[in-house]
Amino acid sequence: MNHYEIVLLFHPDQSEQVPAMMERYTNTVTEGGGSVHRFEDWGRRQLAYPINDLHKAHYVLWNIESSVDVLDELTTTFRFNDAVLRNMVIKRKEAVTDISPIKAAESRQDRDRSERRRDRDAESSETDDVDNAEADEVEDVVNSEEATEE
Amino acid sequence: MSRFFRRRKFCRFSAENVAEIDYKDLDTLKQYISETGKIVPSRITGTSAKYQRQLATAIKRARYLALLPYTDSHDI
Repeated sequence: MNHYEIVLLFHPDQSEQVPAMMERYTNTVTEGGGSVHRFEDWGRRQLAYPINDLHKAHYVLWNIESSVDVLDELTTTFRFNDAVLRNMVIKRKEAVTDISPIKAAESRQDRDRSERRRDRDAESSETDDVDNAEADEVEDVVNSEEATEE
Repeated sequence: MSRFFRRRKFCRFSAENVAEIDYKDLDTLKQYISETGKIVPSRITGTSAKYQRQLATAIKRARYLALLPYTDSHDI
């Protein structure tokens, strides 16, 4: 049994099928007596240069422990799978389970974005309150005018 | 003899005792490629030979996965 790190680039149009395909690959690994130590879905990313006239690809990072036979089987399926644009397999000395720098940066960005959205929401609700208060005042004025007429 | 005292170069990886340079750590790798996408030689950056070899493999892996460009003249 060896440890491998695999990065797969999927065609962006087949993004929806990626979870199903990865499940199938996971099954082949577990059936071969191996195990998956890390699975990261980086989603659709901009490519540094176009591959097959595409500018985006769906990235998946995968750390597995498997026998050589299972890995050979996997690499042949990658080759015959039209959705896989590119694949890279690296041999590792031990199981890697830490979150990768790319995924970490991605989640940091998401958090920043959601925080900013929350801030914006808070601001807009504040302005709404002010508007309501002003409207109330105006109504009061109208009411008092009516009262004087009477 | 040069009049100006040049700041001594040092290897950041040796200083931080990095176990292995990761090809996924793009922020670090980007500091060691030039504007045209070339790997900056260790005589410029001061990276030690051990880490320069790791750096070169890491950058080449990142290039293969289109995480880093090979050159600045890719027709995008």
